[in-house]
Amino acid sequence: MADTEIAQRKIKKYLQDVAAALRGLPAEQVRDIVEELRSHIVEKTNEDMTLADVDSVLAGLGSPQDLASMYLADDLQTRALVSRSPVLVLRSLFRWASLSFASFFVLLGSVVGYFMAASFVGCALLKPIHPHTAGLWTIPDATEPYSYSLRLGFDSVPPGSTDVLGWWIVPIGLAVGFGLFFLTARFGLWSIRRFRRASPMAVYQKQVRDSR
Amino acid sequence: MEEILTHATAEPSDKWEVQVRKGCLELAILAVLWSGRLYGLEILRKLADSSALIVPEGTVYPLLSRLKAEGLLTSEWVEADAGHPRKYYKLTAIGRRRAAQMARFWSTFSANLDRLLAPLRKEER
Repeated sequence: MADTEIAQRKIKKYLQDVAAALRGLPAEQVRDIVEELRSHIVEKTNEDMTLADVDSVLAGLGSPQDLASMYLADDLQTRALVSRSPVLVLRSLFRWASLSFASFFVLLGSVVGYFMAASFVGCALLKPIHPHTAGLWTIPDATEPYSYSLRLGFDSVPPGSTDVLGWWIVPIGLAVGFGLFFLTARFGLWSIRRFRRASPMAVYQKQVRDSR
Repeated sequence: MEEILTHATAEPSDKWEVQVRKGCLELAILAVLWSGRLYGLEILRKLADSSALIVPEGTVYPLLSRLKAEGLLTSEWVEADAGHPRKYYKLTAIGRRRAAQMARFWSTFSANLDRLLAPLRKEER
């Protein structure tokens, strides 16, 4: 009797840990996943729940963290691939960044790409508001003859600078900015697909090893 | 020294086997669902019985959830006599097309590979 109670408590704890590790997913989806796992555990352990049964069934599923990480990686990737939103692309890459060296650099590159894209678009949009200070400027430099500076126009321009593009920054900034958005998204999604192909492999291999 | 050698040769082929299994898992799941709806544990049992695929249980449930998100499967909860509800999975029209397409590819691919492997098998005997 006491054994059954301990077993019940173990199952409850396991499912709570899975639910906690799944935070970020919609509550309804978490409930669905947890109920499916509960159904699996209950059916596999039969009515006479011995501790050994429960332990082996839970071990078969892997640790709550490993299990949750596979759900999360799949979920984020699927959403990122469908929506192409920069937020989801970056979030998905962020999750992979902790798993592999290559994905860390992909994340870094994507952050820079999106940042530059936003700068160009921002510059184009702010030019009409700050006509005399925004744009692509050459600025006198101590070491080189001059350096390029993409300015949003909130500060005044240092003396001796010239506005390279003038009003051309509006069409050019928009074109370059949206081009960069597109290329960064393509690059990020391409990387996500590659990571995914190699994907829960690390976790999977660990589980195969553990189940032997 | 000998130990190091066997270890070194065991690792890559081990990894390769895992990759092959993993790659086939998606097709195997779609295949067992071909003739009707099944719930998670039934899928696992069928895979273990009929294909000798060593499937870690923890990988199948997330995979089912992904296949559902991709529109290849649908799921529904059914109250069972056993006293607890079960989540049944079923192929969608897209899932059936995808499974048929994967099966066709697999047949051609494995036949070609088999032909390539024929000389190796002869020598082994």
